[in-house]
Amino acid sequence: MLEITDLHVAVDGKPILKGVDLSVQAGEVHAVMGPNGSGKSTLAHVIAGRPGYAVTAGEIRYLGQDLIGQTPEERARAGIFLAFQYPVEIPGVANIQLLKSALNQVRRARGETELDAMDFLDYVQSRLGLVGMKEELLYRAVNEGFSGGEKKRNEILQMAVLEPRLAILDETDSGLDIDALKAVADGVNALRGPQRAMVLVTHYQRLLNYIRPDRVHVLADGRMVKSGGPELALELEERGYGWLEAAPEARRARA
Amino acid sequence: MGKSENVGIGDLMQEEYRWGFVTDVEQERVPKGLSEDVVRLISAKKGEPEWLLEWRLAAYRHWRTLSEPHWAKVHHPPIDYQGIHYYAAPKKKAGPSKLADVDPEILATYEKLGIPLKEQEMLAGVAVDAVFDSVSVATTYKEKLASLGIVFCAFSEAVREHPELVRQYLGSVVPHTDNFFASLNAAVFSDGTFVYVPKGVRCPMELSTYFRINANDTGQFERTLIIADEGSQVSYLEGCSAPRRDENQLHAAVVELVALQDAVIKYSTVQNWYPGDKEGRGGIYNFVTKRGDCRGARSRISWTQVETGSAITWKYPSCLLRGDDAVGEFYSVAVTRGRQQADTGTKMIHIGKNTRSTVVSKGISAGEGSNAYRGLVKVLAGADNARNYTQCDSLLMGSRCAAHTFPYLEVKNDSAQVEHEATTGKIGDDQLFYLQSRGLSAEDAVNMIVNGFCKEVFKELPMEFAVEAQKLLAVSLEGAVG
Amino acid sequence: MRIAQEERAAYLAAGRSAMEAGPSWLKLGRHEALESFFRAGFPGREEAWKYTSLTALEKRRLHSPAPGAEFLPDSLPAGHLLTYGNGYALSRSTSLPEGMLGRLDVALAHTTLPAAARFGTLAGRESALVALDTALWREGVVLHVPAQWRVDEPIFIVRTIDEDGAMVHERSLIVLEPGARATVVELCNGRGDYWRNAATEIFVGARAHLSYVKLVEDGAAAIHTGALFARQEQDSRLDVLSLALGGQLTRQDIALDLAGAGAGATLNGCFLAGGRSHVDHHTRIEHTAAHTQSREAFRGIAAGRGRGVFDGLIVVRPGAQKADARQSSRNLLLSPLAEIDAKPQLEIYADDVKCSHGATVGRLDESQVFYLRSRGIGDVQARAMLTHAFALEACAAIAPGTLRDWLTQRLDGALDRLVEEGRK
Repeated sequence: MLEITDLHVAVDGKPILKGVDLSVQAGEVHAVMGPNGSGKSTLAHVIAGRPGYAVTAGEIRYLGQDLIGQTPEERARAGIFLAFQYPVEIPGVANIQLLKSALNQVRRARGETELDAMDFLDYVQSRLGLVGMKEELLYRAVNEGFSGGEKKRNEILQMAVLEPRLAILDETDSGLDIDALKAVADGVNALRGPQRAMVLVTHYQRLLNYIRPDRVHVLADGRMVKSGGPELALELEERGYGWLEAAPEARRARA
Repeated sequence: MGKSENVGIGDLMQEEYRWGFVTDVEQERVPKGLSEDVVRLISAKKGEPEWLLEWRLAAYRHWRTLSEPHWAKVHHPPIDYQGIHYYAAPKKKAGPSKLADVDPEILATYEKLGIPLKEQEMLAGVAVDAVFDSVSVATTYKEKLASLGIVFCAFSEAVREHPELVRQYLGSVVPHTDNFFASLNAAVFSDGTFVYVPKGVRCPMELSTYFRINANDTGQFERTLIIADEGSQVSYLEGCSAPRRDENQLHAAVVELVALQDAVIKYSTVQNWYPGDKEGRGGIYNFVTKRGDCRGARSRISWTQVETGSAITWKYPSCLLRGDDAVGEFYSVAVTRGRQQADTGTKMIHIGKNTRSTVVSKGISAGEGSNAYRGLVKVLAGADNARNYTQCDSLLMGSRCAAHTFPYLEVKNDSAQVEHEATTGKIGDDQLFYLQSRGLSAEDAVNMIVNGFCKEVFKELPMEFAVEAQKLLAVSLEGAVG
Repeated sequence: MRIAQEERAAYLAAGRSAMEAGPSWLKLGRHEALESFFRAGFPGREEAWKYTSLTALEKRRLHSPAPGAEFLPDSLPAGHLLTYGNGYALSRSTSLPEGMLGRLDVALAHTTLPAAARFGTLAGRESALVALDTALWREGVVLHVPAQWRVDEPIFIVRTIDEDGAMVHERSLIVLEPGARATVVELCNGRGDYWRNAATEIFVGARAHLSYVKLVEDGAAAIHTGALFARQEQDSRLDVLSLALGGQLTRQDIALDLAGAGAGATLNGCFLAGGRSHVDHHTRIEHTAAHTQSREAFRGIAAGRGRGVFDGLIVVRPGAQKADARQSSRNLLLSPLAEIDAKPQLEIYADDVKCSHGATVGRLDESQVFYLRSRGIGDVQARAMLTHAFALEACAAIAPGTLRDWLTQRLDGALDRLVEEGRK
C-alpha cells in the first residue's frame, strides 16, 4: 500500500530525512520509533503533504501512485489520514462542521453520494462510542479549549468518521494519561482491518502495549537504522536508543 | 517587617533619592536664554567648523517655527525656554586630556555614583565616557579601543578628529527638523558621545557613558551618534542621574544609531534622573529623541531601557527597518511613582522585506504615578513578510495611579503578521498570599513578583547592569504596596 | 474647519422644514446645534480622524430628498417593523402602542412622555457631525419600554435611502426602564451616492437588558457616518453588534458608559472593506462604576484596495474598582493592496482591575489551512471556511436563534461576495 524508497526531505533547507525506506502492506500496523529529532514527525507530515517540506530525492508511492506533488487534500481524499501530534485549534469552526465537510469531500472522491444532515448525524453518533467522546464536543470549535486527551480522541474520531485506507498516527500517545491512552488505543484497534494500514509514530513503547504492531522500525538521524518484529519495541524499552545510534550499520550509514 | 499586612503606601513611599547630591565645582555658563548669538557662542566655545555652525543655526531657525508638542499623556507647567542656561561646563583652563587632569571633585562625584573612573582603567570590563552637565569629562579605555580602530570619544572631539564621519552621519537618522525637542537639541547640543566601529570589528567590551546634570537652571542637551559599520557589533550603555533641586530641569537629548549591513547595535539605558519630591516639586523633564536606522541588510538594533527616574519621561526609541531581514527590538521597564509621569514606547517602521520586530514593555505605576505606553508598528507596502510581536503589560500599585496603553498598528502589506497584546492589573492577592505563606515578607514578595514581571526585559541587559536595575527597581518601589 | 458663509445657506435651506417643526425648546436646540456645527465644521485634523478623511463628503453637492420607497431585505425574521425612506416614516407594523414605538418628533411634541426628558442628553454637541444631526434630523424613531416589560420579538427599523446626492440625518432614542427587555435591529440600506448621518441614544435602566444591532448594507457609493451613545444603569446588560457590510465610506462611533455598578456590556463588530471602500469603527467603553464588565471583539476583513480601521478605547475611571475589560481586534488582509489600521487603547485610573486587549493583523493561519486540507477540504474551500469562521465570531454577541441565524446569513452573503472579489 505504501512504498517509500530512499526518501530525502529538507525543511527550511536543512536535511531531515536522509534516505528512508518503508514498505507497508494493507492490513498491517507498523510502528516507527526513534529518539527526539530523528525525523519521525517529518516523515508523518511529508506523507500527508505538509507545505514547506521539500522532497529532495526518493519517492513515496501509495496504492501504486506517486504522492509527491499531490496536495494534502488530494491525499486525504485518496484515503490518507494524519492524526496530528498537536491538533490545531480553529476558533469559530464547529467540530461537526469540519467532520461534515471533510466526510462529504472524501465520499465524493470515492464516488459515493454525500450524506444528508440526518444520516450524517446518525453516522457520526455511531462513531462517537468508538472513542468514548462526549457528544457536546461535536458542537464546540475544533479543538478549542479541549484538554490534551480530548484533542487526541477527536483525532481518532475524525479517523473513524473518514475511514482512511492509510492512517498515520503522529505521537498520538504523548501527553495522555492511562485512561485516555486506553480509549485511544481501543479506537485504533476497532479500526484495524484487512483493507487498512496504519503507521504509528512514537517515541515510547507504551502505546504498543495496547496496539500490537506487525513490524517495528527505528529511525535515527533521518535514516531507518533497524527493523524487526514487535519484540524490537520491548528491547528498545529496555535498552533505550543509544546502542542503535552507535551500532555499526548506523555508523556506516552516516559516513 | 513587623506590621506586615497593611503597610500604607504613604508611610513607605518616602525612600529618598539617593543620588541627589550637588558637586561643588566652579561652573562656566552661558547666560540664560536662547538666541542666534547663544548658538554662535556655543559653537565658538567648541571651536567648531563653519558647516556645523550652519547646521545648528538652521536647526535653531526651524525650532522657532515649531511649538511644544502636547499630544503625550503628560502635564507640566509651561517651560520657559528663555530661563535656561544652554551651556554649562566645569571651569578649566583647557579640556582634560587624561584622568589625572580631571577635577578631583568631579571624580568624587563619580565615586559616589559608583562609577570610579580610576578603577575603571584597571578593572576589566567597561569603558566609560562621562558627560558632566554639558561636556564630556574623560574617556577611559581609549587607547585599547583605538588599537581595534574603534572610535569612542566625546562628540566635540569627534568633530575635531573625525569630521568626515560626523558630517556624513550627523542628522541622518534624526534630522535637525525632526521635532521640537530634537531641533532644540540640534541648535544647542554641547557634547555627547561618538562611537564608530569599523567593518567586521566586534567591540570587545561594553561601552558606557554616564550622564549627570549638576548645575541648576541648566539644560542638558547631549547628542550621541553610534555607527556600526558592516558586520560589526557593539553594546552600549548609558546611565543617568542628577542632583535634587526644587526647579525642573530640562534634558533634551538626541541619540542616533546607524547599523550598516550585518551590523548589530545593542543600546541599553538605565535612567535614574531626579524624579522630583513626593509633592511633584522639581525633577528632570526627560524629553529625548532616540532612533536607530537598520540601514543594511540583516542589521539589528536592540533598545533596552530601565526608566525609574525623571519627573516626566517622553521618549520613543525607534527602529527604521530599512535593510532586508533587519531586526528591531525594544525592551522597556518604566516605573512611575510619587507624581512621576512617563509616556514612552517605540516605533517600528518595517520598510525592507522579511523584517522583524519585537516589543516588550512593562509599565509599573505606584502612588500617583502615570505611565503610558505609546507605540507604532508600521508595515509599508513593500515590506513583504514583516513580523511584529508586541507585549505590553502594566502593573498597578495603589488606587490613585494610572496606566495607559496606546498602540498604533498600520499594516499595508497582506503578508505581514502583526500581533499586539496588553494586560493591565494589580499584583494578585493570591500570589502575595502564596509567597507570604512560604515565609516571605510582603516587601520581598512584591519584589519577587515585580522582578518576575520585568524579567523579560532585565535579561536583555548586560549582567552587571541587570543587577543594578533590579536594585534600582526595589528602591523605587519600596513600600509601594499596601 | 469652519463652514464658509456661502455654504451655510445651503444647510439652512436643506434643513428648513425639519427645523421649523416641533416645540420651541427643540427648535432652539436645533439652531444652537447648527451654529456649533458651523463653527466647528467637518472633522479633519484631530487624532480621531487620523485614518479617515471626509473630504469626499465636503466636495459633494447634497440636498434634502423627498420621501423615498421602502426596501426590505430577503427573509426578514418576524418581529415589529418600522420602515423609513429618505428619512421619512413609511410604514409601521407592530402591536406595540405608538407611545412605545413610533416617531420621535411626535413623541417630543408631548414633553410629558418620559423618554422626552432624555433626548439629547448623551448625543451632545462635542462632535460636529452629531451637532449637525441634532439640527437637521426629521421624524426619527423612539422606543420606550416601561419598567418590567419584555418585548419578545425583535424590533426592526429599516432605513432606506434611494436618491443620488441625498443628505439624510437620522435619529433614534431608545429607553429601557428598569427591568425591561428588548432587541432592536437598525438596518441601513439603499442605492446612490447619498450621505447618511445617524445618531442613536440608548438608555438601559437598572437590570434592563437590550440587544442592539446596527446592520449597514448601504449602497456601494454611499457615505455613512453614525454615532451611538449608550448609558447603562446598575446591573443592566447591553449587547451591541455592529455589522458594516456595505457603503463606500463608513464611519461608526460607538460610546458606551457603564455608569451603574454591576453593569455589563458586549460590543462586537465585523467589518468588510472591499473594492475601494473604507470602514472605520471608533469605540469607547467607559467603566465609570465599580464591578462593571465589558467584552469587546471586532473582526475586520480588508480585500481589494479596501481599508479597515479599528480604534477602540477602554477607560476605567477612578473608583471603578473590580472593573473587568477585555478587548480584541483581529484583522485579515485578503489582498496585497488592502490596508488595516488598528489602535486598541487602555486608559486605566484604578488599580484593582483586570484589563487586556489584543490586536492582530495578518493573513489566514496556514497551519489551520493545512489541517483542513489534510482532511480532504480543498484549498479554496478551506480558506473560505476559515474566513467565515473568523467573521462569524462577532455574531456571538447576539443570543442564538432566528435573528442570529438571519444576521449570519447576511454576513455570509456579503463575505462570499468579498472573497469572490478577492479571487478575481
